Amino acid sequence: MKDNNCIKIVEVFRTENGSVSQCNKTNSYILEFGGTTCSFKASDFIDFTKRVNSLDLVGMILSSSSVTDVTVLMPPYSERCFVLTLTDVLNLKELLGGAKFSLHLNSVIWECLRPHLYSI
Amino acid sequence: MKDLLRLRTSLSEEIELLLNEQIKTEAYSSAVYLAMASYCNRNGFDYSAGYLENQSNEERGHMLKIFKYINDLGGRAISPEVVNIPQEFESFKGVFELALQQEIKVTSQLNRIADQCMRLKDYTTFEFIQWFLKEQIEEEYVARRILELFDVIGEEGTGRWQIDKQIPKVSYGESAGEE
Ligand SMILES: [Fe+2]
Ligand SMILES: [Fe+2]
Repeated sequence: MKDNNCIKIVEVFRTENGSVSQCNKTNSYILEFGGTTCSFKASDFIDFTKRVNSLDLVGMILSSSSVTDVTVLMPPYSERCFVLTLTDVLNLKELLGGAKFSLHLNSVIWECLRPHLYSI
Repeated sequence: MKDLLRLRTSLSEEIELLLNEQIKTEAYSSAVYLAMASYCNRNGFDYSAGYLENQSNEERGHMLKIFKYINDLGGRAISPEVVNIPQEFESFKGVFELALQQEIKVTSQLNRIADQCMRLKDYTTFEFIQWFLKEQIEEEYVARRILELFDVIGEEGTGRWQIDKQIPKVSYGESAGEE
């Protein structure tokens, strides 16, 4: 664990479509997906994940209008945006879901180890 | 790997969500009490209107208490969207029947939060929520006592005028059953 903290960028989760990493120096997450890279503060990352998960996939599938073929998502405090097709949304969900699991597992491990790490 | 989630906040996602829902409920209560105040005002129940306005302020106070708690712990408190506020009510008595129902709903929601806190071993929020559970004893007591006035005094003749005058005087004693 200690050695790991010296490494500044740690990969959290990767799929063939993108990756989520964490920067231990700036305490932020880095999302790389579909050629776009952005960094998030922890709370903004969770918020972004929630927004992706609440996208209306069924609506996208059922609608015949070409406007709903893509969804545009703006990450917070960023000039960039993600233009996502249905497949992209599914892939992004998979990536963020995996990252979330990995991050929560990490929290659980820390919770177990903490009493042993800082004992006086 | 450094635990950034825990560095951000000690609140779990589930509890943060539940607390934000409670913010919304308190805001809704506040808005409904205000609508009730307006109804009473335009129907000539001045004392009740004043009482309900105060209730509305109290509910907003509850909302802010939770709002502050979430933010203090590093979470993300959400300013709630409040919709579907009834503006008309069945009757003078109907107002207070609805008030009691709303308070009962709030109590059961707070109980669910306490339950989840236990399940997730979040004793900080469990402790925080105790104040609200205690407050609900008073809220339900007062709402019930007010409703009883309609039976005790009766609505006939000058009954409603008398009930209106009594409503702001209903209060909860130091311990249950005390006047
Ligand atoms: Fe309340
Ligand atoms: Fe209340």
